[in-house]
Amino acid sequence: MIAAIRAEFARLIRRRVLFGTLLTALAVGIGGANIVLSAAEPAGKVSPTSSAPTLEALSGSGGGTQVFRYVVSFAGTLVFVVFIGLFALEFSRGTYRTMLLRQPRRIQLLTGRYLALVGFVAAALACTEVIAWITARIEGSAFGVTTHAWTSVDALGSALQDYGTVLVWLVGYSVLGMTVAVLLRSVPIALAVGIAWAGPAEHLIGDAWSNAEKVFPGLLLEIVGRGGTATVSTTQAVVTALGYVLVAAVVSCAVFARRDATA
Amino acid sequence: MTTSLPPAIEIQGLTKRYGDRVAVDQLSVQIPRGAVAGFIGPNGAGKTTTMAMLLGLVRPTSGDGTVLGEPIRRPERYVGRVGALLEAPSLWPALNSFENLRVLARLGGHDERRIPEVLDLVGLRARGGDRFGRYSLGMKQRLGIAAGLLGDPELLILDEPTNGLDPAGMSDMRDLIARIAADGRTVLVSSHLLSELEQICDWLMIIEAGRLVYAGEAAAFGAHTGNEILLGPAEPADLLALADVVAAAGHEAGSAGEHLVVPINGTDPRVVAASLNSAAAAAGIVLAELHVRRPTLESVYLRMFEGEVA
Repeated sequence: MIAAIRAEFARLIRRRVLFGTLLTALAVGIGGANIVLSAAEPAGKVSPTSSAPTLEALSGSGGGTQVFRYVVSFAGTLVFVVFIGLFALEFSRGTYRTMLLRQPRRIQLLTGRYLALVGFVAAALACTEVIAWITARIEGSAFGVTTHAWTSVDALGSALQDYGTVLVWLVGYSVLGMTVAVLLRSVPIALAVGIAWAGPAEHLIGDAWSNAEKVFPGLLLEIVGRGGTATVSTTQAVVTALGYVLVAAVVSCAVFARRDATA
Repeated sequence: MTTSLPPAIEIQGLTKRYGDRVAVDQLSVQIPRGAVAGFIGPNGAGKTTTMAMLLGLVRPTSGDGTVLGEPIRRPERYVGRVGALLEAPSLWPALNSFENLRVLARLGGHDERRIPEVLDLVGLRARGGDRFGRYSLGMKQRLGIAAGLLGDPELLILDEPTNGLDPAGMSDMRDLIARIAADGRTVLVSSHLLSELEQICDWLMIIEAGRLVYAGEAAAFGAHTGNEILLGPAEPADLLALADVVAAAGHEAGSAGEHLVVPINGTDPRVVAASLNSAAAAAGIVLAELHVRRPTLESVYLRMFEGEVA
């Protein structure tokens, strides 16, 4: 597995990839922080049921990294789509077959690739959090956000908790994305099925059936990212989503290990 | 070729079914170590599927065997000692040669310092910084072979390595395979170009419809077949009349372009050639060409399959 991780990093740690990722982190961190800060309103002006940021919440000790959580709220879908693309593309190109000729231990190959990619995403996420935090700290006062509490020990704890929550959420989406890719193998088909299910299908059913958010993996992961809802706690969402993620991981490993590598 | 060692490849009753279709049917064969074995068969005969089973990419439906002494159902025990190029090489188009080989070297646990060496061997070092996606087909094929050589393999399995290459590329590829084999490696190479295989192979394995037709030394293949006489009339329009002359002399002839090919068994070919020359002259046909030749691998192979069809 270490060999597969090292091989994947040989592709990831290239100037072009690193530069592109850093640019994305800068754009998302700086642009996102500005959007979140400008959208923040005093608590009195925000509906109690709204999830929009308030100036009071952002001025608290966890405010700096709360900006980050708002900024990366789209990242689940992005990671899901990117992982489908990255894993399915290797089937379309025939490069899995090439890799299996050097690393015939299939489960180690799949797991190693996955861990390397998730490690890279985790690092990019940490960069984005730092960039969003610095941007918000510099510009906070201009938007009426007090940032004195952002450098306390409590703030560090909030930062780690926010990072961990987002990471768990993204790991869930990435495993589901990998599984769709391994099962369907074609980039356009896997993307079409994955996006249709995680996007419209789950949400449409969720609108019609109140228990859907306790059952469907995509909705559960969204709840993990949001930090729980009135009907589903974060713990309940994490445990149920983790069950889906484990089943998905086992299914993708079993299918990848058993199926003939004809392409 | 060294035959005192255990076989490089030994398979018994190897079979692969896809639903009702049998791609490889009860294939049993041994390929000795150090051999340069040509793997021949028509399109769809099961060559690629057989190679994929030997490499652990495709699971056999039944049958068993060993590669380099290890069971084919445990490819992790031997794939590191095998280099392979299966059909067109599939590598990452955005990566250059060095980067592509670095990924594969790390995956296989091979020494990355071998990368310049194998690029030298296939003649790609000077273009090693170019992206794979910008390579010509011949360069891609050579990089695919370089990837196969990373682990300094004992056995090299090459599926149609000359596919899509121009004559110069084919010649380069033939020389490359000969250089690789000269180091004592076993090579199993499939190709449609029998004239190419004839020049480098000392062992042959022929299959049709998934079944073994011949396996053995190349020199022994077609040894039972006699010589053949090639006749070419000065006027192409006389070809049919010449065929009648040959038939009247008691011989069967096949046509090859503007020539007739007459297989000869058990008779002195020079005597037959002289009598055919006289008969043609008597019929008013001037021969521009009259050769006695050993049959080529291609002609024996084609005769074998034409005979079966007939």
